[in-house]
Amino acid sequence: MKFCVCIKQVPDVQASVQTGRMVLNAYDASAVEEALVINEGTDDPVDLVLIGSASATETIRKALAMGASEATHLVAEGEGLDSHAVAALLAAHFEGHAYDVILTGKQSQDTDAGLAGSMLAERLGLPYATNAVGLRAEGDTLVVTRQGDAGQEILALKTPCLVTCSNDMNNPRIPALKGIMAAKRKQIDTRSITPPGPRTRVTTTLEPPGREPGVKLEGEAADMVAELVRRLDAEANVL
Amino acid sequence: MSSILCLLSVQDGRIKRSSLEAMSHANTLARAEGWSLEAVLLGSKAADLAETAGRHGADRVLVIKDPVFDSHLNAPLLAGLEAVVKAASPRLVVAASTESVKDVLGALAVRCDAAVLPDVASFSVQGERIVCERPVMAAKKLARTESSHPLVFVSVRSGSYEVKEAQGAGTVVDVPFQFDAATLGLTLREIVKSAGDTVDLSEARVVVAAGRGVRDASGKALVDELASITGAAIGASRAVVETGLFPATAQIGQTGKVVSPDLYFAVGISGAVQHTAGMANSRVIVAINKDPDAPIFDLATYGLVGDCFTILPLLNAELKKVMASR
Ligand SMILES: Cc1cc2nc3c(=O)[nH]c(=O)nc-3n(C[C@H](O)[C@H](O)[C@H](O)COP(=O)(O)OP(=O)(O)OC[C@H]3O[C@@H](n4cnc5c(N)ncnc54)[C@H](O)[C@@H]3O)c2cc1C
Ligand SMILES: Nc1ncnc2c1ncn2[C@@H]1O[C@H](COP(=O)(O)O)[C@@H](O)[C@H]1O
Repeated sequence: MKFCVCIKQVPDVQASVQTGRMVLNAYDASAVEEALVINEGTDDPVDLVLIGSASATETIRKALAMGASEATHLVAEGEGLDSHAVAALLAAHFEGHAYDVILTGKQSQDTDAGLAGSMLAERLGLPYATNAVGLRAEGDTLVVTRQGDAGQEILALKTPCLVTCSNDMNNPRIPALKGIMAAKRKQIDTRSITPPGPRTRVTTTLEPPGREPGVKLEGEAADMVAELVRRLDAEANVL
Repeated sequence: MSSILCLLSVQDGRIKRSSLEAMSHANTLARAEGWSLEAVLLGSKAADLAETAGRHGADRVLVIKDPVFDSHLNAPLLAGLEAVVKAASPRLVVAASTESVKDVLGALAVRCDAAVLPDVASFSVQGERIVCERPVMAAKKLARTESSHPLVFVSVRSGSYEVKEAQGAGTVVDVPFQFDAATLGLTLREIVKSAGDTVDLSEARVVVAAGRGVRDASGKALVDELASITGAAIGASRAVVETGLFPATAQIGQTGKVVSPDLYFAVGISGAVQHTAGMANSRVIVAINKDPDAPIFDLATYGLVGDCFTILPLLNAELKKVMASR
């Protein structure tokens, strides 16, 4: 199947201090991994598209080093791209292409919006599934297992279609040296674009409300347990 | 008159608590603005639940009594919600941030030409603007985000507001709807329910969550016992879900569910940001971990440093006694 994966470069949310280090969105890495596994041993492409600043080339190379085929880099400088703007730009990009499956991450790790995938599907008029934890090709049908509210839903999607991927789907490969070298020679089609105005705007970023400092109990298990139960009952009033 | 339209999610024949939480706050805002409050219920039993919606402030309850909504499938849900949004033409659409809502929110916004503020911890109306606060960077920051678009959708994290009763007229309005299944590009083959979920995680007042430290079936048995004594729902970290010991529906965190119970037990969980993103708003957090430097202790109201295989049997016995004396 001809895949294209939409990838985003995000700040490293795991870092305790933000150093400006940027990484490939973990959900998108899982999407790339899944497409590579499905297409293993075939000549079908796993292409990439990324919207972001010029410095995002590094992230594109990383996904190419995993084994993706070619990439398009739509260069938009500055902040303020919301999911609405991203989906509009991606929809324009996909107009000239005929992919069987478009994959996105289920959400951006930095903003947790979780919108661009289904927005894009709607703009392209494609059937879609979100929060996929498993994918399988069955002829020209894509069988998707999605994590729903009360269990897993198994869906059959006619291609062309779009799926948003959870990182619970797989563990993305770490590129090997050979892949890294090969990625250097792969084509990145770079174009400048002007994004449409966003519909939402971040005005300020605040610290979340802090928690009251707690009590740490150490020592004999029986003593800790007695003390905990006493406090849960008398102090916290939660029993 | 402007209005706020609340999408109510139904599970096991009841309106989800998270939906009523969001609607309770929407009701407060609507009364302050002099707007009306409308609710949406979809599915064959929709009309039976209209009374509950009325009791939580809904002036009108828009219903589509079609069995196509009884199990979640995005294409018909989108069509149904589009019909309802067009019928009500609200200023603001509010929903609880459930997986079913997340599945359609973006697509619905494109279809209805709306802006979306997803997964918010709070929201308000400020003149022409809808303003919200939403956790970002794995809940390490709160981003105040706003939109002045004429139609805004807001999805609300569970536990963000209290449920408050408020009498509304609750007038039931049937919205005309027809769905042509032949246009579907997708079909639902099967729903695999995870066994043993007796209490809904996102609604539970007590959650017992297991991490990789719980290790094996004997650890799981101790966790299950603690949950049954305290009437808790069972949660899990991603690392322990990966081992197959707990179902994926139990996963709490950035990828999994958001919970905010009164009491949260973190057993053998290190406290990675992607996990704490889903539970940091719990009122009382008990952490049991053998590593005194585990980051979960930074959040814990009560931290117990020790082996859960030693602590849980004692804790279960002690709690059983306390519960029996009630
Ligand atoms: C994009 C992304 C999304 C993610 N989403 C989620 C998510 O939704 N939910 C989630 O949970 N994780 C998520 N993760 C994974 C997360 O980063 C951690 O890897 C995971 O939470 C670790 O789980 P854990 O604490 O059970 O395991 P570990 O980090 O391995 O910790 C195990 C803990 O158990 C303790 N322990 C061991 N034995 C015992 C014992 N006998 N008694 C007491 N304590 C013991 C250890 O001291 C340790 O602290 C995500 C990761 C990424 C990259
Ligand atoms: N700038 C971008 N370039 C390419 N794809 C993107 C971009 N932003 C978001 N996406 C895709 O949309 C998904 C998440 O959407 P959202 O959470 O709405 O930002 C990501 O996992 C990507 O697959």
